[in-house]
Amino acid sequence: MISAGIDIGAKTVKTVLLEDGKILGKGLVPAGLDTVASTKQTLKRALAAAGLTVEKVEGFMATGTGRKSCPFTDAEITEVGAAAKGINHVLESCRAVIDVGAEEGRAVRCDAKGKVIDFAFNEKCAAGAGTFAEGMARALEIPLEELGPLSLKARQAVPMNAQCAVFAESEVVTLIHNKTPREDIARAVLDAIASRIISMVRKVGFEKDVALIGGMALNPGFVESMKRGLEMDVHVPEDPEYIGALGAALAAAEQTT
Amino acid sequence: MASQAVLDQETFETFRNWRLNRAQYAKEWKQRTGGRVMGYFCTYAPEELMYAAGILPVRILGSHEVQDVTEPHIFAMFCPFCRDCLAQGLKGRFDYLDGIMIAQSCLHIRQTFTSWQKHIPIDYSYYLPMPHHVQSRRATPFLTKELEVFKDSLEKWLGKTIDERAIDDAIEVYNRNRRLLWRVYELRKGDRPPLTGEEAMEVVLSSQMVDKQDHNAALEGLLAQLSKREPARPTGTRLMILGSENDDMEFIRMVESFDATFVIDDHCTGTRYFWNDVELDGNRLHNIADRYVKRVPCPTKDWPERTRVRHVLELAEAYGVQGAIVIQQKFCDPHELDIPALTRALNNAGIKTLFLEFDVTVPIGQFKVRVEAFLEMLQEDDLF
Repeated sequence: MISAGIDIGAKTVKTVLLEDGKILGKGLVPAGLDTVASTKQTLKRALAAAGLTVEKVEGFMATGTGRKSCPFTDAEITEVGAAAKGINHVLESCRAVIDVGAEEGRAVRCDAKGKVIDFAFNEKCAAGAGTFAEGMARALEIPLEELGPLSLKARQAVPMNAQCAVFAESEVVTLIHNKTPREDIARAVLDAIASRIISMVRKVGFEKDVALIGGMALNPGFVESMKRGLEMDVHVPEDPEYIGALGAALAAAEQTT
Repeated sequence: MASQAVLDQETFETFRNWRLNRAQYAKEWKQRTGGRVMGYFCTYAPEELMYAAGILPVRILGSHEVQDVTEPHIFAMFCPFCRDCLAQGLKGRFDYLDGIMIAQSCLHIRQTFTSWQKHIPIDYSYYLPMPHHVQSRRATPFLTKELEVFKDSLEKWLGKTIDERAIDDAIEVYNRNRRLLWRVYELRKGDRPPLTGEEAMEVVLSSQMVDKQDHNAALEGLLAQLSKREPARPTGTRLMILGSENDDMEFIRMVESFDATFVIDDHCTGTRYFWNDVELDGNRLHNIADRYVKRVPCPTKDWPERTRVRHVLELAEAYGVQGAIVIQQKFCDPHELDIPALTRALNNAGIKTLFLEFDVTVPIGQFKVRVEAFLEMLQEDDLF
């Protein structure tokens, strides 16, 4: 059977079409203000990529912050459950999955079957989420995509106390005024986000293998910051921003069969 | 015949009205009885003694509204609850109080008391040095002497003596209230509790705002109704909620909008308030002192042995708890200290926990996501 998992996040909507554990098509569009329209569009894209029509889809499952507004289904799974299921499908050895999206960071401990054992969310702190990276890239006057690669060229670690996104930005401004090289500032920003996320990961506990998913996993500088901070390897699956949608598609298939 | 829905609404209406219109109740009570109203800050306040003097003791609680009036008085890293309480005083919402008193528990709420004393005109105020080391055998004799001093102070203020008979009557009214509340809570042990956590909170909170005789009469009526009440919703996952003060009705309602019911709590606004009786044996002030020394402790007083951990585990077992939500008022150090031990003990007993930090207003959307994920995890456990 063919199932669809739809992850309605704070910044983007992702859809994964799945048949017998195999991904047939994917779609991603910015969430925007009209999430219903963007959700429809993301499904359209995934269907087009798979060369399918909507009638072929037998089960839907929504996840993500906006899951209640999914126009196709009332069936839903939390981001936590979806992340555990999704990562288990692509990396069975994973016991801790760290999901850093636009507005939230989460750490989920799971077992060999992809069942959630425990989880934690970052506590009310924008400095531990993807939007913060976006804001800091703006302050450095570079596109977001360049922040990670730039940070990899850093020659020194500059400490930054990112307890608060607003104050962190003023710290960045100070560093700019002090003529700190941009690549060092870029690394400082990503190290600071990683530090916030890692303190949350430590709270929930972790063991090998650790995986990183969500949009921030696409940032190579952030992945390096996480590896440095955790002092261990961090796996980034292919298409890390789709793992939640994949988990939802798997849950939809389980529910229907 | 009234429909079940109407019955459901009416069952708790009295308690809800008391909670929502507490100022009006207190003002009418004063008119009706000619007595005075005393606001107290912590449940270590020996209410029996005040009640025996013809005083209505009422607990001062916050409003869960954002405020900007306490900054000059209380350090920003003191807990949101103590600031919320002071804000109510500064805004004149307790203008019907004749006096305030506190029994020492934590520094944060004492700061509220001190600021109130200094900045809000009040006829009477009293600081009762409730001992911290309640596990010491000297705690009860110490508190007995302190109660004598407090009694003298009240007598001077009121211009009358508080006799033995009045103390006996007050103890009886208070013990009766505790036993009735306890019976309501007993009903929550069943497979299908006839009341939700929100409804239970409505009942126990209002008991801290009204004359216990009125509350006792309402509780008798409630118990009669509950015995034949069919719950309108499935119980779902059986939850415990524990932590410091909690009167956040909105949070409880949010959690119970899912397939879950709070069946028991360990809060000073809940079970810790009424769990223990005054046992009558000889000197009455000694009996009252003994009750407050031996009650289920607040973490400020629960050392060197941590007795509360054992008590929480017993509650969890007796009420068939499947998961526990551990809440803490932000910056509440005593509870912060207790939480790791409590969490470990609950987890070892096979009860998973969700930790949430409460502020004056809670981010209900963010908490909803965490609660749903927690319930999903517990319900998944059930399948295996």
